[in-house]
Amino acid sequence: MPGDRTLAVRSPDTRSRTFRTPGLRSSGFRSQGFRSRGFRSLGIRLLGVGLAAAIAAVTVALAVTGRLGLYINPDSAWFTVSMAVVALAGTIASFALPLGAEADHGHDHDHDHAHAHAPDHAHAHAHDDAPARRSRRPAPAMPGLAPSGRGIARAGGIAVAGGGVLATGIVGAMLLVPPATLSAELAMSRDTGAAPLFQGADVVALAATGDTASFGVGEWASVFATATNPEAFEGQQITLTGFVTPAGGGFGLTRLVITHCVIDAQAASIPVGTGEAPATGEWVTVTGIIRDVEGSLRVQASAVEVVPQPEDPYEY
Amino acid sequence: MPTETRTAPARIAVAIGVGTLVVAALVALALVSPAPELSTRAQDGLTLALSVLIEALPFVVLGVVLSIVMQVWVPPGVIERWMPRNPWGRRAVLSLLGMFIPVCECGNVPFARGLMMRGFGVAETMTFLIAAPIVNPIVIITTHQAFGLDDGVLIARLLGGYAVANLIGWLYSRHPDPNGLVTDRFRAACAIAESDTGGRGRRSLAQFVVELRAVMPALVIGSALAGAVQVLIPRETLLAIGSNPALSIAAMIALAMIVSICSNVDAFFALSFASTFTPGSIVAFLLVGPLVDVKMLALLRTTFRTRVLAGLVVIVVLFAAAVGGVVNLLV
Repeated sequence: MPGDRTLAVRSPDTRSRTFRTPGLRSSGFRSQGFRSRGFRSLGIRLLGVGLAAAIAAVTVALAVTGRLGLYINPDSAWFTVSMAVVALAGTIASFALPLGAEADHGHDHDHDHAHAHAPDHAHAHAHDDAPARRSRRPAPAMPGLAPSGRGIARAGGIAVAGGGVLATGIVGAMLLVPPATLSAELAMSRDTGAAPLFQGADVVALAATGDTASFGVGEWASVFATATNPEAFEGQQITLTGFVTPAGGGFGLTRLVITHCVIDAQAASIPVGTGEAPATGEWVTVTGIIRDVEGSLRVQASAVEVVPQPEDPYEY
Repeated sequence: MPTETRTAPARIAVAIGVGTLVVAALVALALVSPAPELSTRAQDGLTLALSVLIEALPFVVLGVVLSIVMQVWVPPGVIERWMPRNPWGRRAVLSLLGMFIPVCECGNVPFARGLMMRGFGVAETMTFLIAAPIVNPIVIITTHQAFGLDDGVLIARLLGGYAVANLIGWLYSRHPDPNGLVTDRFRAACAIAESDTGGRGRRSLAQFVVELRAVMPALVIGSALAGAVQVLIPRETLLAIGSNPALSIAAMIALAMIVSICSNVDAFFALSFASTFTPGSIVAFLLVGPLVDVKMLALLRTTFRTRVLAGLVVIVVLFAAAVGGVVNLLV
């Protein structure tokens, strides 16, 4: 990183500082152009490699602490983590590319929309390393641009900068805020009453054979919703963990089921009959028996124990 | 760089050292995460947005890597030699390219930019961009897993995606000024890519930096938008209209544009609506989602002008509604 340029970017009083750079002494316009070039070069790094590296860093940190499952299905973690490592390696390598070298010519054109550049480009390429050339942008380079065009260009520039600041803020928050699971409120708003069909028919077929040892709330919810022979499950013992959502005659034992990442999370819920329902959102382990009540299945709880939120709060 | 006068190896060693420190600091920061927890709703929105980003980033990185390979490492003429000369034939082949390129829709954008930088036409590249998220082995497998061959959902999705891509490619190939379809910023990036004469390693790095700059802010904002909308718009509002043949199509198209799920898995998501929604509306959802959801639009905006995107949305939505309507009538 060239020292002068960094100073010019960081200092609020840039104009006087950039005067120290040889060749830019004579014109306020020029030093401003130079400063915005340096600023833009840093911006390109921050908004591209920087954002990617931050998200890759979050991915790696989650994987190291075993919490990647809070965001994506662990089945695809190998791919996610290895590409995150590629992104971080590329980030390190990109430091070897001098600041601004990726765009010595083209980004002059960020702000002058709406007119032809082709000759302009050819012109700029020949001089890409001459400091006097890079700062020519504001003054004579675009004679055809009307004042209104300049205003539009400026508005466009502000929009781009605003988007960049917003994106940086969002990624910053992702980096700094500790990982969390989706709330019970969201799970309830997702619970549309539609049968959770995502498990597919094989689950119900498996359930019919009686091999339900590995079933979670998601599988059971599928069975409850789609079983054509409810009497087959009458009297079966289960122990399941989930969180509490409101439901008639007791509460709903609910779990979010993820196919790929939490944005596709769907609430799966089974009705639990009990005397006293725990508070909504509380994690509980329910032990009980499945009852066939007039063709619809529900769990009759013999014990409801409040437990801390499990390390893997989702089912996949 | 006027001020770079040190010898290259020493400078590179220092730069790599600094880079390693920065990356280590980022990982450490992510491990510590010193900020307090947010309010429930904000936290949910952030969690959703971050999950989309974690999910999409590997594909974006893969897309950028493939784009670098296309642009810097594959010698000129190698791919072009295999392409048919006839424009319809070229577009037909390009719309099947997704079968061989293992990136989902987020990775397609940098890859498509690489195609255009190589000299492929704007309309041809749009054909690829529209077809690849649907005509793609992973999507075929997951859609088949979710729906089997029931109700013609898989067939309608594949044929529909292929057809709409070629329709859009044909329409835009008639545009008198193809360069006017893409943003100035992207044209500038192309000019750099063409003119750069450094070593391949240096050009690869430059492309890495430029492509990530083009894609990342859009991806972040698109993901945040998808997360925010999910938290703010109650899903019952959409579901209330699910069983009406015409309204359900409109509702599922709106849902597809909002939720921004990767085309690889949207079939499973759609499956959960299959019991309340009409099959045609499911097909419409599966056609619109991969092509023009909010996240994709933000990504496409890096390369195409707003006017083009508006046209794209109109064509895709009308087409999907038509296909959905036909499916509803037939099934």
